[in-house]
Amino acid sequence: MAETASSKKRFWLFSKSMHASEVRLAWLLILPTALIVFGLVLFPAIFSVWISFHKIGLYNLNDVFHAPFIGFDNYKAVLNDFAFKWGGPNQWGAWVTTIFYSFISTFLTLIGGLIAAILLNRPFRGRGLARSVFLFPYVAPVISVAFVWRWLLDPRPSGVLNHILINLGLLETQQAFLATRGLAIWLVIIFQAWRYFPFAMLMILARLQAIDDTLYEAAAVDGANSWQKFISITIPEIRYVLGAIFLLRLLWTFNKFDDIWLLTGGGYGTNVLPILTYQFSFNMYDFGKGAATAMIMMAALVVFIIGYVLIIMRNSEES
Amino acid sequence: MSTLDQYEKVKKANFIDHLAKTLNWEKFLFAVGLFFFISMIIFPFYWMVSSSFKSGAEIAGRAPVYIPSSLRLDAYRELFDPTWKSFQNFGSNIINSLLVAIPTALIAVVLSIMGAYASARLHFKGREWILNGVLIVYLFPAVLLMIPLFAMLSKLGQTFGFNVQDNLVILVLTYLAQTLPVALYMLTNYFRTIPDEIEQAALIDGCTRFEVIWRVTIPLAIPALVTVGIYTFMIAWNEFLYAFIFLNDRATFTIPIKINTIFNDPSPRPHVVMAASTIMTIPIIVLFLAFEKYLSQGLTSGSVKG
Repeated sequence: MAETASSKKRFWLFSKSMHASEVRLAWLLILPTALIVFGLVLFPAIFSVWISFHKIGLYNLNDVFHAPFIGFDNYKAVLNDFAFKWGGPNQWGAWVTTIFYSFISTFLTLIGGLIAAILLNRPFRGRGLARSVFLFPYVAPVISVAFVWRWLLDPRPSGVLNHILINLGLLETQQAFLATRGLAIWLVIIFQAWRYFPFAMLMILARLQAIDDTLYEAAAVDGANSWQKFISITIPEIRYVLGAIFLLRLLWTFNKFDDIWLLTGGGYGTNVLPILTYQFSFNMYDFGKGAATAMIMMAALVVFIIGYVLIIMRNSEES
Repeated sequence: MSTLDQYEKVKKANFIDHLAKTLNWEKFLFAVGLFFFISMIIFPFYWMVSSSFKSGAEIAGRAPVYIPSSLRLDAYRELFDPTWKSFQNFGSNIINSLLVAIPTALIAVVLSIMGAYASARLHFKGREWILNGVLIVYLFPAVLLMIPLFAMLSKLGQTFGFNVQDNLVILVLTYLAQTLPVALYMLTNYFRTIPDEIEQAALIDGCTRFEVIWRVTIPLAIPALVTVGIYTFMIAWNEFLYAFIFLNDRATFTIPIKINTIFNDPSPRPHVVMAASTIMTIPIIVLFLAFEKYLSQGLTSGSVKG
């Protein structure tokens, strides 16, 4: 018995026991997924660190593993790039733009989601349909909705927003809104809030529906009005889900490429780090510099997550 | 004054009374809020569909045309009619997108059934490790992976003599890598809710493992399988960045890349872009509405990155 146990441990690959065959089957079943995820996610992620320390362009892409090691040169090049660093109020640089854009659009997404969830938490005829419609911006393909927005904001006379603003007397001539520095970043932020509030809404709605009704009834007996009920019951009850959505959405917004690329192409003060990464690698074909930008992004995210978790944990310990 | 007039007056007063009683600030705010949200959401979609039915003249006019005069098919004919000038051959792009999205969805379902069965039912070392490791994939954004993937696959393509660019198989593989972890995670959680006893009984009755999976586990997990399949299909259908990097040849363009090309054409034709966008969006909205119940649950469990 002891011998079979030890041989099972050592040679599960060849052993004939029931357990060994189960282990073999398990690994066999999981192998294709593991290979794909390792080969196309984990290995590239590690490889990306390696690339960021080497000089790689189109010319040596075929012989990438022998690329020259250049230490932190790529990182220095990124940090000193005029597109990356702060260059005064008219030239924010990618890192300030990224932080500004991801925090404000996450915040607006959360507010939009909260209001939508409160609206839909009330019973009314057609609520199910309204809920489906509210999710449209989130499920529709990004390219379709981004291009509809561009068409709505079009500078030609047939552009809807221009037409409306001129008719209201707020504008004199047509404007290229998405090509106006200062305005473009806000439009991108509004687009993000429009597209992603349904995600926040669904999560908040699920939590709202789990709140015990007796809490509200008790508050009503005490003579609380709607606003007081909202502040002292609803908000504390959904605090944690709000925190979780904020973190999740911030991560995803921070890393977002498609939306901004399709709306402005990264021009007019909307150049964020993911777009800079793309431009370094696929417009300038400096893959090392691109990878270094991506690594700086990841480092910033990790620092932020650690800080966030520490603060959340300290707060929950206090309370 | 006739009695009729008096009657009218009383009725009017009653109506205003009624209105004042039912209308309060809360309800008013609620109605305004709902109207605001619905119109903000619906209008862009309305604009997309209605613009696709406009003529070139209506698109380039001196003012936007809010309601097209008639359902003109100019834009759709440019997409599909080979005799039309600047014919776009959009049918081939739809086929390319389907060639990417359907295999991605099917393979993701099959592989995640296998993986999820192993990690939910079989006992082996490293099981939890795999499940947690799978979630780490969440942390790696597409922009981080595009550079190493491109470099790595170029090198591999050189060595083994296959084309990395314009290769739809490569695209399917990268989409699988992005979606499999989540699919595996969702299915494992679902399998764990199916009582083990049913499968044990089948095993005792002399079924092999594969018969058990085929005859017992899969039929019981149909809702979860449908969810996983539709999710992966939607992700592959909508994906832009990897397709943008890997596809250069017009013949291999998927729908998003084609729409991007039409949009960036020197002579802007928004109605054609909107027609193509409409064709791309409708299947997604239909799928979503048909399976909304399952998909919303998946969304709240945070299974879709984006």
